[in-house]
This record gives sequence, structure tokens and C-alpha cells, in this order.
Amino acid sequence: MRVLVVEDEADLADAVARGLRREGYAVDVAYDGDEALDKAAVNAYDLVCLDLNLPGIDGIEVVRRIRANGDAEPPRVLMLTARDRTADRVIGLDEGADDYLVKPFDFDELKARVRALLRRDAGRSGALLQVGDIELDSARHEARRVGQPLALTPKEFALLHYFMSRAGQVLSQEDLLEHVWDEHADPFTNTVRVTVMTLRRKLADAGERQPIETVVGRGYRLREEP
Amino acid sequence: MNTLERLWDRLPEWTRSIRFRYTLLYSAVLFGLAAVVLAAIYLILLMALRATPVSSGRGTFCMHGDCITVITFREAERLVNSEILGKLRYYSLGALGVLFVSSLGVGWVVAGRVLAPVGRITSVARDIQATDMSRRIQLPGPEDELKQLADTFDAMLARLDAAFDAQRQFVADASHELRNPLAIIRTNVDVALADPDASPDDLRQAIAVVKRAGDRMTLLVDDLLALARRQEPTLEHEPVDLGAAVAEASDDFMVPAETRDIVLDRAIAPGVAVTGDREALKRVVANLLDNAVRLAPAGSRIRLATGSEGNRAWIAVADEGPGISPDDQAHVFDRFWRADKARARADGGTGLGLAIVRQIVEGHGGEVRLHSKVGVGSSFVVWLPITRPAIDGGQR
Repeated sequence: MRVLVVEDEADLADAVARGLRREGYAVDVAYDGDEALDKAAVNAYDLVCLDLNLPGIDGIEVVRRIRANGDAEPPRVLMLTARDRTADRVIGLDEGADDYLVKPFDFDELKARVRALLRRDAGRSGALLQVGDIELDSARHEARRVGQPLALTPKEFALLHYFMSRAGQVLSQEDLLEHVWDEHADPFTNTVRVTVMTLRRKLADAGERQPIETVVGRGYRLREEP
Repeated sequence: MNTLERLWDRLPEWTRSIRFRYTLLYSAVLFGLAAVVLAAIYLILLMALRATPVSSGRGTFCMHGDCITVITFREAERLVNSEILGKLRYYSLGALGVLFVSSLGVGWVVAGRVLAPVGRITSVARDIQATDMSRRIQLPGPEDELKQLADTFDAMLARLDAAFDAQRQFVADASHELRNPLAIIRTNVDVALADPDASPDDLRQAIAVVKRAGDRMTLLVDDLLALARRQEPTLEHEPVDLGAAVAEASDDFMVPAETRDIVLDRAIAPGVAVTGDREALKRVVANLLDNAVRLAPAGSRIRLATGSEGNRAWIAVADEGPGISPDDQAHVFDRFWRADKARARADGGTGLGLAIVRQIVEGHGGEVRLHSKVGVGSSFVVWLPITRPAIDGGQR
């Protein structure tokens, strides 16, 4: 899942990005509204963590323009705001933000809200994902196959999470690069192929059939029934 | 007295109203006047007319067994007079009774009408306690005393409303400014603690960030407290040697200026005295110099000068910094206003320095002016009322 953190306080933006990266998200950072809109125009983000009070273009305007883009799958927007007046939050929510968090916040709460917002994509209500005999708990950061824990790296975990939230769909290498890796990933290396390979090996070690199949010329697909 | 008060307390609620007292007064006055007039008419008639009731017959005249009483013509006249006076007395008393009752009724109604605006003022005032300060009485009608009262009340509400708004805005701004460094501290600590394999370097970096945010909060809290305290009328009133105070305040900036390769020129005129708070005036100079030293480019010159003109003293700080655009000049004295938000925060400014300057200067009955040209520099001039041309050491 790919996240954009927009926050003019660099010390805060970097800490949020660091914390979310450790959760397996691919995180980019923008320090003002212009940069945020530039990045949102180029990359397909699943979620934007947005400070409302930005120099230049402010957060409300950023939400408005992201919504106006008319993407098929617009990113979820989580507002971070230091203003605790109801009016400010109402404006933000009305303009298209999906949730808000008042600063200072508990980082665990931020993680929970990010998870909750990303779950809405898949139309599920819990932190637990299940596809066939694979289970993934995004809150506890645990994945199992046939009840047996899988030792995954954060990137592999994020990749599996993305596959499971789009089970049955064919996902191209570009899709995966876009949603699981951040802007620092080099699109010309075979990092996606390598990570998919290691993930498949770990899944194969735990169960009988390989759940991730290659669709020749198009990409990969996680089988819904094992 | 005591028993009277107790009696007063035992009366029902409605008898304690102005309306009730006004009614009683109105009725009493009307009744009294009517009674005096009627009594006067009666007495005048009584004195002017000779009236005697029927006395015993003076004589009896009998014919064919029928007897009639015989009185003289004068006696008959007196008898009639007596009857008329009796009737007058009777109807007067009756009229007075009717007048008394009707005057109570009329008084009650009239008092109610006159006092209705007071009721309206009271109900609005009561609502305002319960709801918000945005309501006004807006009493309709002619420019009379009650309308003036209501208008005065409205004006007072407007001032209070503005003051409360300013206070609310101040609290909102302050909490906003404090929440950001708090969020930085909390998130960095949370993220660092949650990472079991954080290296010492990672932790050191997190601690450095926390320290930075803590320093920022310290400055901010100092400035907020300075601002809040100055809002109370606690400024000292003592004679201050302006030159000495300015020189003292600027001493602290010689070293920071030098390290940034900035020349700080001082031209301080001796013997200018103002009345006020010495520490507050030093803070004015310090805040102006702090901005100049932080924002002026290396190798430039800052000029600090004081002097007097007529009955006013002045302090001027001129820099060769980036200057302030005409649009922004109106805002520089606003709280938490920054020319460049991201940059000024990193520089350690709280956005309160100039607001504090203005507040202190205005608290001394002076004013602060800004002259600035983008690319050339800015100069701030503080004008203060002067007390005496020279310090003589005496206290007034």
C-alpha cells in the first residue's frame, strides 16, 4: 500500500514516514502543498496523510484538487490537524477527507486509522484478511498459511497484503511497483520480480500449492481458491 | 427597621417590582390631588353658603285640622344649601373611590408599557449569559432614555464580544502552535520506542529532534506568557533612561551579530527619559534586534539608534534584510504571522516577537511604525511619549 505524507514540519513528516515504512507501507513525503499535488499527480497513492495547515497551497485545497482529479481509485485522505475546532474538521471532511486525527496523536492510533482507511478499499471490516488458506493480520503484522506463521520481510508482507486485498485480480509489475514500493524504488531493476519470487517461495514452503500464479505477459494473480 | 424588612420580605414577589411601586405612586398622587381639589371645593362652598339642616319648626300653622310647619324663606334657603352640600359630599366620596380603583388599573397598564423595554433588555442580557455574545438588544423606538440605555448596552456587548473573540483566537492560535512541537515529540518518541532494532544513531537522532521541538516550545511558552502578562495592566511605571536600557538590551546581540558577520551600529542619544517598564522596553529592543539578526544576510549592517523629537522619544532598528512586501506589512504585528512559515520555524522564531513589541509599545502610550522595501531592508521605529528632557534622578 502506498502512502503520501504531507506535512510542513519536517521532523514530524519524517517520523511518520519512518513509522509507516516499518509497517510495510511504501511512503513518500511532501513538505508543502505544491509538492504534494505534484506527487499525487504522478503516483497512484492509496492513502494521503495530510496536514491541513501548509505553507502555500493549504491542506483543504490539496484535498479538493486530489478529489477533482477524478481518478478511478482516488486515495483515501487522513487529515492531520493541530486545530481542534469542530469547524475546521467539518470543512476538511466536507471537502473529501475520509478521517481526521488531531495533533499530537498516538502513533498507534495513526497506524490503526491508516489500516482502517485502507480496509475500506477491500470492503472489509476487520484487520484480518483471509484468502484460501492464507491469513493476514495487518494490525499484528502477522501472516499465516494453514495456521503456520510465515517469516516475511516488511516488503514481502506489504506485497502479500496488496495481493490479498486484490485477490483474483491480475496485477502487473507496474501496479505492484506503484502501490508497494515508494518513489525511491528504481523501476529499471527487477526488485518486484525478486520480491515476488521470495514471497512465493515462502508461501510454497508452508502449503501445498503455489497460490500466486504468473499470468504470462500480464503479471501475477493470487488465486482465490487454493 | 428590622421588622420593616421582614415585612417587606413577606410580601409576594410581584409587589417588589418597580411596576407595582410606580402604580402605587401614580394612584396615590392622582388620588391625593383629586381629594385635595374636591375638599377645597367643598370647603369653599361650605364657607360661602350658609347651610343649616331643618331645625325644629319655628311655628305651626293649622287650618281645618291640617298643620304645616312654617319656616321663613331664609330658613328654606339654608335647608336647600344643606341638602346640596350633603349630596356633594356623598358623590365626591363616591367619585374618589372610583378614581382610586381606576387609577390603580391605569397606573398598572401605563407602568407596564413604560417598563416593557426594560423587560426586553433584561431578557436579552439573561439569554446572553446562557448562549453567546453575538446577540444585541436593538431596541426599536424613539431616541429616549431607555433606547440610550439599550444602545449603550449593545455597544458594551460589541466590545466584550470583540475582546472574547480576540481571546478565543489567541487560545486557538496558541494551542495550534503548541500542538505541532508536541506532535513532533510524541511521534518521534512513539516511533523510536516501537522499533526494537533501533540503532544508537537512530535514537540519538530522535533525541535531537525531541530536543529541537522542546527548545521551540520553551521559547514559545516564554513568549506566550510575556504576551499574556502584558495584557494585564501590570506594566511598571518608573522613569527609565531609554539610552541606557537600549544599550543594555543590544549588548546581548553583539556576539550573535558578529558570528553571523553582521555589523551592529549603535547611535544612542543620552539623556532621554520615558516613563514605563524598563524590562519591557528592553524586550522591545531585543525582539526587534533578534528579528534583524536572524533575517539579515551575512555581511550586512544593522543600525540601532535612539533620540527624541519634541515630546516624543524614538528607537529605530534598520536592517538590510530581505524587506517586507506592502501586502505583508499590515500583518507583521499579528500573532503567529510569519513571512515564510517553513523557514521562520526552522530559524527558531515563534511568530510572537513583533506582536509583543506592539503590545508593550502601545501599553506605554506609544506606537511602532514599519518602513520597508523589498530587497532594500526594513526599519522599525518605536515612538514613545517622553517625560522629561533629562534624568535628574528624582522621582515624581
